[in-house]
Amino acid sequence: MTLVLTPTSVEEAVALLAEHDEAMPISGGATLVAMRNASLVTPSHLVSLHMIPELHGITRTKAGGVRIGAMARHCETAACADLTGTLFVLRRAASMIANRVVRNMGTMGGSVANADPAADYLPALSCCDAVLSVAGPDGTRELSIHDYIEDWYETALEDGEIITAITLPAPQTAASGYHKIARVSGDFATASCAMALDPEGTGLRVAIGACGPGPIRDRDGEAALRGKLDDPAAVAEFAGRLVALADPVDDVRGSAEYRLRLIPRLVTSSLVELTKQKELA
Amino acid sequence: MAKKTLYSLTLNGEEIEVASSAGATLLETLREDLRVLSSKRGCNQGVCGACTVLLDDKPVRACLTLTAHCEGRKLQTMEGMGGDPIMATLQRHMVESGGVQCGFCTGGVLISARNLLSEDPSPSRETVKTALSGNLCRCTGYRTIIDAVCGAAEELAQ
Repeated sequence: MTLVLTPTSVEEAVALLAEHDEAMPISGGATLVAMRNASLVTPSHLVSLHMIPELHGITRTKAGGVRIGAMARHCETAACADLTGTLFVLRRAASMIANRVVRNMGTMGGSVANADPAADYLPALSCCDAVLSVAGPDGTRELSIHDYIEDWYETALEDGEIITAITLPAPQTAASGYHKIARVSGDFATASCAMALDPEGTGLRVAIGACGPGPIRDRDGEAALRGKLDDPAAVAEFAGRLVALADPVDDVRGSAEYRLRLIPRLVTSSLVELTKQKELA
Repeated sequence: MAKKTLYSLTLNGEEIEVASSAGATLLETLREDLRVLSSKRGCNQGVCGACTVLLDDKPVRACLTLTAHCEGRKLQTMEGMGGDPIMATLQRHMVESGGVQCGFCTGGVLISARNLLSEDPSPSRETVKTALSGNLCRCTGYRTIIDAVCGAAEELAQ
């Protein structure tokens, strides 16, 4: 028996979460209701974030970036024309989540809070250097996506905190894309790769998904690779660094060994694809 | 006796009130409290698509939707689509091509297909496959279903 509470402000939602020990926040429900249906969670209260206006919508920031409300559905992100250049990767990732019906339901805040390593947003957000806005009993704070994942399904969110928005820095001109290897269309990734390539074709940003507790990003490696993208040995060395940072597990979607072998292939094929895209632009 | 909450919503064009247990999913409310049975309980995990309904004209999984989130909103199930010309054409093609065997997935398939054709009247076969990727069918092997949706799209385009 679960009671559903529908606060209309973030402050009220945070207060309700603090008041009830066994309460959980709920956004789209695409994961949490499924878990409850399977009796994996038994919350006394679900604190619905649906009726809180400030959690909805995607807007431009004063700095030229994009603020995505935590309640933005995957279908909204997949159709958002403000996500250009380096941020286009997020649009692509959103369009590859599950299927149309689930994309009408699931939200970015919910997906990020659930922190499934094989889900599509985390590598894309890492590639965009996203910042999470968080509200909790001690007030609000901002958290870099790079400091967010602490372990498998463990995040830097404290008890009673909710994600209110995801903010992306102003887009830079780039060819960007999200490539996902999955057993069938709509499945979680076996391995995935979010990548942005600058217009001169000199610099890359890469984040690998589903190959460890959180996205794998090697910014020092990206700096070392600058200007050497036409050197296959340098690209291979960079991919090797990503493989060394990976910590995959065996699961139903593929073995750890298979995932390690996918990483260099994803890096190479994504780079080829983006180079083609850049030449066409 | 579990505590019931009263919800108001528009079901197939009719404003209704329904008493449902607190925290109920829309699927539970439809099947157990309203006896509206076209939305099926397959996996109860949002995977199989047999419970798909339209909420404010968008397809959603009834098994993953809380009834509390439907308050004041417009809900459509297969029961309310008898007069819809796109749906009627899809249904006829499903029958003619043999896209219905046991029928358990059919309502969800039709709602997803109707949503596709209302947004993209002439989809490619590949687009149809992708649009139906969230609807599992254990009987047909899918070919006849995809034939039906493509056939209906062709007929509607004429």
